[in-house]
Amino acid sequence: MNLSLKLGASALALTVATTSASADGHAAWWKEAAAPYEGVTIRGVTESSPPSQYIREVLAPEFEALTGIRVDVETTSWDQMFDKGIKDMEAGTGIYDMVYIEQDIIYSYLARDFLTNLTDFLGENAELQAPTYDEANFTTFADYFKDGDGDLYGVPMEAFLKVYLYRKDLFEDSEIQAAFKEQTGRDLAPATTHAEYSEIARFFTDYGKANDLELWGTTAQAHTGHVASWYEYYESVAPTFGVYNWGIDANNNFAASVANGGAMNGPEAIEAMEWWLSMRDIAPPESPASTWTEVGTTFGAGRAAQGLVYGENAGWIAADETKSLVVGKVGVALPPLADGVKAAAEAGDGYIGYYDGGAFGMPHSSKNKEATALFLQFIGQNEVQPDWAVAAPRVTHTATYDDPKVVAFNEELGGYYDLIKDKGYLFAGAPAYPFHAQVREATAPIFYQILTGDLSPQDGLDQMAAAAEATLTELGYRK
Amino acid sequence: MHSKRLGWIFLAPTLTILFFFGVIPFVYVVFVSFHQWNPFAVNPDMVFNGADNFRRIVFDQAFLNSLGVTVLFVVFAVLSQLVLGYLLAQAFMRDFPGKAIFRTIHTLPLIMAPIIVGSVWKLMTTPSIGIIPHYLDEWFGITMNIGTSAVAAFTTIVIMDIWHWTPLVTLTLIAALVSLPPDPFEQAQIDGAGKPQIFWHITLPMIAPAMIATVFIRLMDALRTVDEVWMLTGGGPGSATRFLGVHIFREVFPKTNYGYGSTISVIVLYLTIVACWLLYVTMLAPRTSRRSEED
Amino acid sequence: MHKSSPVIGVIFWCLISFLTLFPIYWLFVISVKPAVQLFSTPDLIVTDPFWGNYAKVWGDRLLRSYMLNSVIISTGNAVLCTILGFFACYALSRMNLSGKESIFFWTITNRMAPPAVFLLPLFLLMTQVYTVGEWRLLDTRIGMILVYCTFNLPFAIWTLRPTVDAIPRELDEAAYVDGANTWKVITEVVFPLCRPGLAVTLILTWVFAWNEYLLAATLTNFEARTLTTGLSEYVTTTGTEWGIMATISVFTLIPALIVFGLVQRHIVAGLTFGAVKG
Repeated sequence: MNLSLKLGASALALTVATTSASADGHAAWWKEAAAPYEGVTIRGVTESSPPSQYIREVLAPEFEALTGIRVDVETTSWDQMFDKGIKDMEAGTGIYDMVYIEQDIIYSYLARDFLTNLTDFLGENAELQAPTYDEANFTTFADYFKDGDGDLYGVPMEAFLKVYLYRKDLFEDSEIQAAFKEQTGRDLAPATTHAEYSEIARFFTDYGKANDLELWGTTAQAHTGHVASWYEYYESVAPTFGVYNWGIDANNNFAASVANGGAMNGPEAIEAMEWWLSMRDIAPPESPASTWTEVGTTFGAGRAAQGLVYGENAGWIAADETKSLVVGKVGVALPPLADGVKAAAEAGDGYIGYYDGGAFGMPHSSKNKEATALFLQFIGQNEVQPDWAVAAPRVTHTATYDDPKVVAFNEELGGYYDLIKDKGYLFAGAPAYPFHAQVREATAPIFYQILTGDLSPQDGLDQMAAAAEATLTELGYRK
Repeated sequence: MHSKRLGWIFLAPTLTILFFFGVIPFVYVVFVSFHQWNPFAVNPDMVFNGADNFRRIVFDQAFLNSLGVTVLFVVFAVLSQLVLGYLLAQAFMRDFPGKAIFRTIHTLPLIMAPIIVGSVWKLMTTPSIGIIPHYLDEWFGITMNIGTSAVAAFTTIVIMDIWHWTPLVTLTLIAALVSLPPDPFEQAQIDGAGKPQIFWHITLPMIAPAMIATVFIRLMDALRTVDEVWMLTGGGPGSATRFLGVHIFREVFPKTNYGYGSTISVIVLYLTIVACWLLYVTMLAPRTSRRSEED
Repeated sequence: MHKSSPVIGVIFWCLISFLTLFPIYWLFVISVKPAVQLFSTPDLIVTDPFWGNYAKVWGDRLLRSYMLNSVIISTGNAVLCTILGFFACYALSRMNLSGKESIFFWTITNRMAPPAVFLLPLFLLMTQVYTVGEWRLLDTRIGMILVYCTFNLPFAIWTLRPTVDAIPRELDEAAYVDGANTWKVITEVVFPLCRPGLAVTLILTWVFAWNEYLLAATLTNFEARTLTTGLSEYVTTTGTEWGIMATISVFTLIPALIVFGLVQRHIVAGLTFGAVKG
């Protein structure tokens, strides 16, 4: 189905929804609460993504029509977005009333008190507390935007899992199944261990070669000059080998190297790296130049039989015929795991992959906090979620899963929403590090050298651990 | 003399604008460069640390590597542009059918934004999707992968830069060649001078100011190159194309290392000024002053 | 100079033009392909063009306002820099100012600064110092016109200086003898003779301003955003929309082509001027 068409359709649906909301009398509440702020313009900055486009195209106009508060959303690239937000909040300029906060930046912002405590703010301003907004409505994903006291600093608007996608049509093809069985003595099914995954990947890469197809056995987000590759390793590969939180031990003076008590260059980290590199080598040739977007494109173009793909891409890959060649042919599963990792994740001692996403927070320097709080609650209502989830596959509210529209869409996505709902707790957001980007940037250049083969995994990870510790010392976190 | 006052009046708007938007920010950056400052450190404030940043930079392998690849890139790109640009400018001095059209076509790359140039070349060179690796493989059996081969990535960026900026050199050199008086050339031909002699003794000295001015512009722009490389390789593979512009960008944007990033910028600016100053005093200034004396 | 065969010349130029045009042609090819075809095996010729991207870009109100901002900012900046640069060059060339060679060299150092780190002080200045009451220079067209002077004004001065220097002083002196004042000498003698150089400067400063990305991306938010910053909106989390980006790029080429067409005439005019001067 065409997603942009859906967007139009859901805009209509939303109008209907609001009409019913006004029948409940809530429209009157919004009008009254917003009356003092009519004519105000609130401004936000966000990364360009389908959920934020939905805010700009659908929710913001809807909100303006209801309340007379105008919402301008500046969309920009990922690099620019953080820089602009940081400059504004650091200088206290008050340009933005809303900033997009992602996993990778939230703890930095919290450490600097850049954001307004939404729980407190609404508590202190009861007249602004919308009857249809409740923090309890959010999925557990909202926990990643809370401080130690459980107070919320951002209204979640995007939430995805980085999942294991596979090509159902290929996996269910009887000839392929027979060939696989003959070659490996095993039934062809989505992998649960790294060895199985490698076996399937090798099989399909060979199969593609033998049949002169543009088909490879796995994707690899292995760009040699972009942090996407660093993220794939630390979010999605290392944890499945039991290396969590980048191998840095926050409870042990932020140690990174094994010598000091960290795990960044431990045997599991090296094994994970070697396994991932071996997969990269049989992935499509564009992989060393692939970021998260190209991995989605590769999968959507039908060039890979399986792969780890960000959930925001899973939607269009599985359902958007204008962009994807594999509509209806996609299955989702949990990523392959090493022994004991699943048990650790079940027990809450680890995680098996990345729970990705973002929220809108309110800078402390905002000059229109009241109006912004109203808008943040508006996009945080249960009522607006289902259409949003269909237009831009993301779920941030528990009630959304049961909506008929979302249930139907879940079928199209090969059960992706079920996976989030049932297994989401096994995944985790970014580690709670206020130095996220700093350590990433300090280690990434060495990481790229491992990818290009200039450094062995052992040497490279040793150097990365040393660089991480040096940076942490310089920043004052490591004593 | 009143013309002196008038001269300063003519210069005043230029100097004022450059003061408010060039000098003041520069002073600020110099100030920051003597501080440790990362807003996401345990202490988010600026901490004066004397010349520590400057001491550190001397041993900073990442910076030195970046400096090295940048110099290599600038030398390859700018020299090629100068030679090609001059040859094309000379070629445009002749008459041939369709000259105006060809000249317009030749200047087209100039009007493309670097960020667009980077995107197009990325799409043309991305392995297995781009048209260049596709036909290199199909016709010549050559594998080109800018994600794995440092040489391929570096060469692609140099070629891209040559493609993009040679027209600038051509254009400024055409303007210079056009305004040359014909007399010395006619005289030289009457005297029976050969083509190389005319080039070395008449053309080159006469267009040298324009040529060096152009090289200057290209030199300093190439040293600051960010957008195209950012789009095309992001600095990879490894650090093969992590030019100074990209390196500084990474240091101050994602890493928010304002203090040390400022130090690198100050040093880069200093090195650029020194290099250009040397070029200027040895090549350009003597000619200008000699001409002034002749006048 | 001897004349080579025109046929060889034309073949040579066709070849050069092919190399020059190919990436631009490829941009066009991308703009008329639906996203789903973009990542199949590349074909040289488009048989079935898809105009959806053009309809989408043309219908985007926001992009039209970005286009207008770009036109105003780059034209304003190019004209400002060319005029100020010309007067500065005249002063540097004709008037005996103390330290003028140092000033000349200093102007160019403003273009050498690696831009990334200067964004922070510019941001602070434009939000906290260059303000009048509530009004601030950040995110305004005039602000961008002035900021772009940091790289275009030095460029204008450096490309115009040789041109102004090359105008023989005898012409100035002859005009003074005829009773002209400095203003008249500048506007009626020197300025017209510099036309080719001024045209080249105007084009190039315009192009530099039109194409600038990093400063615009940081120093504009809503009101003064330019087309190049509009491009970055299509680098999304779910894939770069290459088709749309290519289409916008094609749109950015059109005004640039018009400016080029207009100003190139003056360079050609310069050709005849060269003959007359001899």
